[in-house]
Amino acid sequence: MLELWNDLLWPLLWQVILILALTVGVLLYVAYAVYADRKIWAAVQLRRGPNVVGPFGLFQLFADFGKNLIKEVIVPAGVNKGIFFIAPMLTFVLAVVGWAVIPVADGMVVADLNVGILYIFAISSMGVYGIIMAGWASNSKYPFLGGMRAAAQMVSYEVSIGLVIVTVLMCVGSLNLTEIVYAQAEGVWFFIPLFPMFVVYFISLLAETNRPPFDLPESESELVAGYQVEYSSTPYLLFMIGEYINIVLLCSLCTVLFFGGWLPPLDIAPLNWIPGLVWFVLKTSFFFFLVSMVKAMVPRYRYDQLMRLGWKVFLPLSLLWVAITGGVLIAFDLLPDPVAVSAATGAGL
Amino acid sequence: MMVATTAFYVFAAITIAAAFMVIAARNPVHSVLYLILAFFNAAALFVLIGAEFLAMILVIVYVGAVAVLFMFVVMMLDINFTELREGVLQYLPIGALVGVILVVEVLLVVGGIAVGPLSPDVAAAPAPMSSDVENTRALGQLLYTQYIYFFQIAGLILLVAMIGAIVLTLRQREGVRKQSIAAQNARTREDAVELVDIKPGSGI
Amino acid sequence: MMTTMPDLSPLYAELFLAGAALVLLMLGVFRGEQSARSISGFAVIALIATAGLVLAGGGETVTTFGGSFISDQFAVYMKVVSLLGAAMILVISGPYMQAEKMDRFEYPVLILLATLGMCLMISANDLIALYMGLELQSLALYVIAAFKRNSQRSTEAGLKYFVLGALSSGMYLYGASMLYGFTGSVGFEGIAQSAAAAEVSGGVVIGLVFVAAALAFKISAVPFHMWTPDVYEGAPTPVTAFFAAAPKAAGVALVVRVMIDAFGTMGPQWQQIMIVVSILSMALGAFAAIGQTNIKRLMAYSSIGHMGYALVGLAAGTVEGITGVLVYMAIYVVMNGGVWVCILSMRRAEGMVENIDDLAGLAKNNPTMAFALAVLMFSLAGIPPMAGFFGKFYVFMAAVDAGLITLAVIGLVTSVVGAFYYIRIVKVIYMDEPAAAFDAPASGGMRVVLLGSTAFTILFVVAPSSLVEVAGKAAASLF
Repeated sequence: MLELWNDLLWPLLWQVILILALTVGVLLYVAYAVYADRKIWAAVQLRRGPNVVGPFGLFQLFADFGKNLIKEVIVPAGVNKGIFFIAPMLTFVLAVVGWAVIPVADGMVVADLNVGILYIFAISSMGVYGIIMAGWASNSKYPFLGGMRAAAQMVSYEVSIGLVIVTVLMCVGSLNLTEIVYAQAEGVWFFIPLFPMFVVYFISLLAETNRPPFDLPESESELVAGYQVEYSSTPYLLFMIGEYINIVLLCSLCTVLFFGGWLPPLDIAPLNWIPGLVWFVLKTSFFFFLVSMVKAMVPRYRYDQLMRLGWKVFLPLSLLWVAITGGVLIAFDLLPDPVAVSAATGAGL
Repeated sequence: MMVATTAFYVFAAITIAAAFMVIAARNPVHSVLYLILAFFNAAALFVLIGAEFLAMILVIVYVGAVAVLFMFVVMMLDINFTELREGVLQYLPIGALVGVILVVEVLLVVGGIAVGPLSPDVAAAPAPMSSDVENTRALGQLLYTQYIYFFQIAGLILLVAMIGAIVLTLRQREGVRKQSIAAQNARTREDAVELVDIKPGSGI
Repeated sequence: MMTTMPDLSPLYAELFLAGAALVLLMLGVFRGEQSARSISGFAVIALIATAGLVLAGGGETVTTFGGSFISDQFAVYMKVVSLLGAAMILVISGPYMQAEKMDRFEYPVLILLATLGMCLMISANDLIALYMGLELQSLALYVIAAFKRNSQRSTEAGLKYFVLGALSSGMYLYGASMLYGFTGSVGFEGIAQSAAAAEVSGGVVIGLVFVAAALAFKISAVPFHMWTPDVYEGAPTPVTAFFAAAPKAAGVALVVRVMIDAFGTMGPQWQQIMIVVSILSMALGAFAAIGQTNIKRLMAYSSIGHMGYALVGLAAGTVEGITGVLVYMAIYVVMNGGVWVCILSMRRAEGMVENIDDLAGLAKNNPTMAFALAVLMFSLAGIPPMAGFFGKFYVFMAAVDAGLITLAVIGLVTSVVGAFYYIRIVKVIYMDEPAAAFDAPASGGMRVVLLGSTAFTILFVVAPSSLVEVAGKAAASLF
C-alpha cells in the first residue's frame, strides 16, 4: 500500500498540486493584468478607468467575473451546438496548458520538457482552432469573417515566430526553456545580440494574440466583435480569459527567450537577494505594459498591411537573421558545445 | 509501465475512432476536426515511444498549418459532400479489395522478415539510438551530415512546388489599386500641398 | 563539428546547374516579366555549360554521400544527352512562348530544375536518391504541363499528369519499401548483394515489379502509357517537345541503372517484364498511331513505340544491348528536336494548327523544311540509311545475340507497321492538295536545331562507330 502511494499516487498528487498552484497563480495574475490593461488604456485617454468596485476599483474584475457567470447562456438558433461550446473551452484549455513548460524561477516548472519551446509553439499553433471553430459554429456572418481573418493572421505570424525561435535555439543549442535561461546567465541576455529578432518577436506576439493594432478578427468597428459576437456569459468569459492568458504566456516566453527569465539584471548583492520569481513576474509585467501601451496608442492596421508586414517584411528579415546568426556562430566558433555533442553520438560521415 | 500501456491503448483507440469518423462524419467540417483529433493522438503516441521531437513537429506542421488550411478550404467552399458520398457503396468493393491486398502484402513483408531467410544486413539495419542523446539532437546530427544530400534535394523539390503554385495561380489583374509604401513615404510637403492665392471674387 | 565534408567533386555539374537555376530565378523575380527572353538565353547557356562540366568531370566511377550518388561513364553519357536535349528544346520554344503570351521567366527556371532532377536521378545509386530526383523532375514537369493556364486542355493535361504521376510515385515507394524490408538496404549495391546471396524471396520480386511498373509509367511504356496521348495533346507544344526528349532519355537511363545495378543477378525475373512491356509498347505505338489526325497525339504514340524499341536492348541485358539502348536514346532525342521544330512552326494567322492535314503543301511553301521533315520521318520509321535505322539495328542485333529472336522479329514487324504512318506524313507533305502556307516560321535558333538534327540524321551513316564506341564504354561501366 505504501509502495503504491510512494510510486504512483504521491507523484501524481504532487503533479496535481503543482498544476493547481500554477493555474491559480496565472489566473490571479491575469485578473490583475486585465485590470491593469483597462487602467493603462484609461490613463492614456485621460479617463479614470475602473474605480468603483473596491479601493481603486481593484475588485472590478471579480464583479465582472460574477456577472458573467450568473448571466444566461444564450444559444442562437442554427448554431452547431457541440462545436459552439467546445470552441471556448479549447481556447481556454490550450492557453493554460502552454504554461506547463514555462520556468517561472530556477527549477519552478511543472514539466521540464527537453522540447519545451516546440511544445509551446505547438500549443499556440493549435490556439487558432478555438477561434476558427467559434467563427464557423456561430452560423453568422461577422463571426465567420472574424474566424477566417484570425486563422490567416495567426498562421502567417507563426512562421516568423518560428524563425525567431530558431535563432535563439542556435545560440543555446537546446530546446529546453530552462537551459535557454541558463545560457543567458553565462553570456548576455539575448535581446542584445538578437535585437532585431526581439522586435520581430514582440510585434508577432501582438499579431498572434490578435491584440491591437492587429485585432482585425474582432475589430469592433467593422465586425462588432468578430468571432465572439454570438457568445455570452461563461463561454464568452472563457474566450476573454483565454485570450489574456495567451498574451501573458507569450510575454513570459519573451522574458525567457530574450530577457534572461528569472535572472536578475546584474548578478550583484542587492539584486540577487530578490527571488527569481519576482524578477520573472516583473519582466513579464513590463512586456504586458508594453502590450497595453501599444493598444492605447497605435491605430489598427488594414488587413493587406498586416499580411504584407508578416510575409514581406518579417519573414525575409527573420530568415536573413537566421542565416546571419548561423554564419556568425560558425565564423567566430561560438557554437554551443559541439565537442560534447559529437563525442556523445560519434556521428559523422 | 501500466500507466504507459493504458495511455497507449487510450490514445490508439481514440486515433482509430477519430480516423474512422473522418470518413463517416456527415459534415465535412466535422471530418476535418476529427482528422485533427487523429493527428493529435498520433502525436501523443509518438511521445509514448519517446519520439517527442516528431510529436511536436506533427502537431506544429499538420495540426497547426496543414489542417488549418484544410479547414479554411472546407469552410469556404460550399461543397455538398453528401452528394459526393453517394457513390461510396459503389466503390466499396474495389476499395475493400485494395485494402485487403495491401494488408496481405504488409503481412507478407512482416511475415517474411519474421520467418524467411534474412540477409545479414537486415539484422544490422535498425541501429538503436544511444540513450544519452535526445532524439532531437540525434535527428539533427543525421539529417545535416549523413543525409544532407537528401535534405537539400527535398529543399529543391519544395522550391519547385512553390514556384509551381505561384506560376499556376498568381495573375496580374488590371485596375487593382495597390498601396505603394515607398511612394507614400517619399511624398513631401511640396508634392502634397499647394498654396494658392485666390483673389476675392475670382475663384480658382 | 567533428564531421568531414562529403566529397562534392563528382557533382560539381549539378551544383552549378542548381546554382544557375536559383540565380536565374532571383533575376527573374527582381527584373520582372520583361526579362523572360534573356533568362531563357542564360538558361540555355547554363545547360550547355553544365554539359561541359559533366564532360570535364571525366568518367571514372566515383560515389559520394555515403554511396547515394554515383558518377560513371554511363551517367556522363546520359546526362550529356539529357542536358543537350533540354537545351535544344529551350532554344526552340522561344517563339511559341512569345506568340502565345506565355514567355514568363519561370518556364526556363522550371526546365532547369527539371533537368537537374534528371541529372540527379541518372546518378542515383540508392532508392531514396532515385525517388528524390524523380520527384524533382516530375513536379517541375507537372507544372509546365499546365503552364498555359487559360487553356482548359493544358490545365487538364497538368492535372491528369499530376494525379497519375502521384499514383506511380506511390507504387514506386511501395515497391521500394518492400525492397528495403526484404534486402535490408536502400543502396543498389546492397540490394544486388542480397539478391545474389541466397534464393530470392518473393518480397523482393514483388518490390521489383512495383518499381518496374512505376518506372515504366515515367517513360510511358505500355501498359502504363494511358496518360501520354492526352498530356502530349493538351500541354503547350514546346512542353510536349520537352516531354518527348529529355525526360524520356533520363527515364530510360533510370530503368537501365536500376535493372542492371540493383537487380543484375535477377535477370531472368525482370527480363520477362521488359520483354512483355517492350512488345506491348511497340505494338501499341505502331497500331494506335495509325488512326491519329493530331500530330501531337501521333508523336505521343510514336514516343511510346520508341520506348518499346529502346527496352528491347534492355531486355537483352547484355553490354551490347545497353549500348544499343544508349545509342538509340541519343539518336531519338536528336531526331525529336528536329521534328518538334517543324511542329512548332505550324502556325497560321489564326494561331497554332496541329492537324496532320495542315502539313499538306509544305513541299511547295517551304521546300527546305519539307525535306528536313521527310528525312526525319524516314529516320523515325527506321529506314536506312538514316540514323534511326542504326538505333533499331543495334538493339535488335543485341536481342538476337541474346537469343531473343521472337522479340526481334516482333520489333521488325511493328517497325514496318509504324513506317506506314510516318510515310503517310511524307505523302501528305509532298503529294496532297496544298493547304495555306504557314506564317514565316523558324527563328534562328530553330533553324540551327532543325539543320543540326537533319544533318545528324543523314550523316550518322558516315561514322556510326564514334557514337557507338562512346556508348559502349558507358554501357560497360555499368557491368
